[in-house]
Amino acid sequence: MKNISRVLIANRGEIAVRIIRACKSLGIETVAVVSEADRESLPAKMADRSVCVGPPRALDSYLNINLLITAALGTHSDALHPGYGFLAEQPELAEVCGKNNIQFIGPSPQNIREMGNKLWARRIAKDSGVPTIPGSEKVRDVQEATRIGEKIGFPVILKAVAGGGGRGMKIAHHPDDLRATFDTLSAEVQSAFGDGTLYLEKYIPNARHIEVQILGDHYGNIIHLSERDCSLQRRHQKILEEAPSTVLSPQLREKICHAAVAIAKSIRYQSAGTIEFVFDQDRREFYFLEMNTRIQVEHPVTEQITGVDLVQEQMHIANQEPLRYAQKDIHLKGHAIECRINAESPNNGFFPTPGRIEQWTFLENVDVRMDSHCFPGYIIPPYYDSLIAKVIAKGKDRSQAIERMQYFLENFIVSGVETTIPFHQRLLKHPDFLQGRVNTRWLEEVVLPTLRSDHE
Amino acid sequence: MPLTTEEIIQILKLIDESPFDELHLESGDFKLTVGKGGGRITSPSRQPTTPEPSRPVVTQEPLVARSSAGKYPQVQVPTQAEKPKAGLFDSTPYEKDGLLPVKAPTLGIFYRSPKPGAPPFAEVGKRVEDNDTVCLIEVMKLFNAVKAGVKGRIVKICAENNQMVEYNQILFLIKPESRTGELSTP
Repeated sequence: MKNISRVLIANRGEIAVRIIRACKSLGIETVAVVSEADRESLPAKMADRSVCVGPPRALDSYLNINLLITAALGTHSDALHPGYGFLAEQPELAEVCGKNNIQFIGPSPQNIREMGNKLWARRIAKDSGVPTIPGSEKVRDVQEATRIGEKIGFPVILKAVAGGGGRGMKIAHHPDDLRATFDTLSAEVQSAFGDGTLYLEKYIPNARHIEVQILGDHYGNIIHLSERDCSLQRRHQKILEEAPSTVLSPQLREKICHAAVAIAKSIRYQSAGTIEFVFDQDRREFYFLEMNTRIQVEHPVTEQITGVDLVQEQMHIANQEPLRYAQKDIHLKGHAIECRINAESPNNGFFPTPGRIEQWTFLENVDVRMDSHCFPGYIIPPYYDSLIAKVIAKGKDRSQAIERMQYFLENFIVSGVETTIPFHQRLLKHPDFLQGRVNTRWLEEVVLPTLRSDHE
Repeated sequence: MPLTTEEIIQILKLIDESPFDELHLESGDFKLTVGKGGGRITSPSRQPTTPEPSRPVVTQEPLVARSSAGKYPQVQVPTQAEKPKAGLFDSTPYEKDGLLPVKAPTLGIFYRSPKPGAPPFAEVGKRVEDNDTVCLIEVMKLFNAVKAGVKGRIVKICAENNQMVEYNQILFLIKPESRTGELSTP
C-alpha cells in the first residue's frame, strides 16, 4: 500500500489476530502491542514484532495513549489499528495519531466525537430524516425526568449521553424507578465516562436490535452491507448475532439500509461503521439507536454473507483509496450466525473463568469460521474481557447455518476452563429461537430462568 | 550469516583461550559481539577480592532488519526472525552470575545522557549508589529518571541510546557491592 507499510495493532485477543491476518493478506507488516500479561499471546507470536507497553492493567497499557504513540513512533509504524473496545472510540487517540503522522485506521476524530455524544447522534439522525425513539434532550434532575417520562409514557430508559455499547443505562417502569436510579446512574456514568449527563428514551418492550454495516471513504462515497440482527443479549451484551434478520421484509430492509446510508453521508463518514436501530416488532417501525464508529465484534457475520473483508477494506480506506465496491457490487448470499464463546460459567451467573486451556480441538470446516486467539496451553488472563472465540457458521439458509453451528459446537472440545459452549448449544435448540420468536428481552426473561432452575 | 550452535561454541572456545578480551564479528545483517568478563580484565593484584566470571559473556546484538516495506530503508526494526529475545526481559541467568538488572519502568525512548552531547549518566565500570540516575526514558516529552536501585558497579549497558525500550526491558546489569565494601575503588 502506498501510505501504509507497517501497522501497530493497539489491541489484543481475537481482534488483534484478525487485524494481523488482514495485514498479512495485504503484505503489510505488523507490530503487536502487548501488556506484560499478553507477551506469550497468539498476536505476539503472529506479528512481525511485538512491543510490551506496560503492566497487565489495561489503564497502564492498552488504554495509555502516550505509550501507544511512543510504541508506534519507536517501531516506525505508519498506521495504527485500534480494533474495538479500549481506545477505539476515543477521539483523542485518532487526533494524536494525526498529529504524529500516524494513519489512524478508523474514522476521523470529528466522526467519532459527533457519534460519541448520544444526544448529538440523535440530532444528526433526525436531521437526516431518520426516526429516533421518542425521548428527551439532556435531563437535569429527577423531577424533570419524571415530567418527561409521564409525557412520553412509561416504561422509559434512562441513558448516559457519553455511554453506548450497552453501558450506562437503566429501565424505569414507574416514576418511582426513576427516583431510585437517577442519582446513582448519574454518578456511575460520571465516573465511567467522565460525563454524568443523562437523557430519556421511550422503552420499546418488544424490540429487535438491528444494525446496518456501513463503509465510507475519504471522497464521500458510502455503501451499506445490509443488516445484522443482534437481539440475543444478556445485560445489553450481544451473545449471538445473525444476518440477514428474519423480521425484515425486503421493503423494510431497503428502508433501514437507506436510513443508515443517509446518516453516514450526512457526517461524511470515513471507514467501517455500524448504525444501530431498535425495531419495534409490534408497530413494525425502526428507530435510530446509536452509531458505532469502529469495526465491531460481530463483523464476520456480514463478511460471510457478502464476501467482503471489512478489515481489509478499512486499510484500503485509510490508505486514501476510493471504495473498491459500489452498492450494486454487494450481494447477499445465504445466512450466517455467530456465537460468541466466552470463558464464563453459565450455571454460575456467567462468572468469568480465567485459567489455562488444556484441550482446544475442533473440526475444520469450510462452512464454519472461527476467529480466536486461543490454543492448547494458553492461559486466559484475568485482566480483560472473557471472549475467547467467535464461531461463525454459514449456510444456504438459516436452518442450514443453525445445523452447521450445532454440529461444530458438538465437536468443539475445550477443557481446563469452563466456557459458554453448552449454553449456545441449548440456545440453538430452543423452539423460540428456531422459529424466530424472540426479542431483546427474550434471552434474559425466557432462557436464563430455565438455566438457573435446571441448576438448582 | 546465521551461525550454528556448534560454530558459536567454537568461537567461544577460541576467544576463551586467546589473549583477546573482545571479538566483534559483522557480516551483512549478522552481528556478533563476544567478550570476556563484564569489561576490562583487571589484574588480581589490583582487585584481589573481585572474582571474575570464568565464562565468556555472549551477547547477540539486535540485528539490522531489511525492511520489506521499503518505505523506511534506514529504519532498524527487528522483524520476524529477530523479535526481542527473552534475554532482554528475563534476568534469572544474570542473577545466577550475581548481577542485578535495572529494568525499564515504562516503555519509551532510552537516553543515556541528560541532554544531547552531555556525558552519559553511567558507563560500564562506573560505581553507582542506589539513588543515582542511570538513564532517562521519554514518553511523549515526559522524561522519567531511572535510578540504579542498588549500590554497585555497572557491568553492562543492554540498551541502545536514543532507541525505544519496552516495559520491563533490562537496561543495565549491575554487580552489587557487598556491605563490607568488597569492591573498593581502584
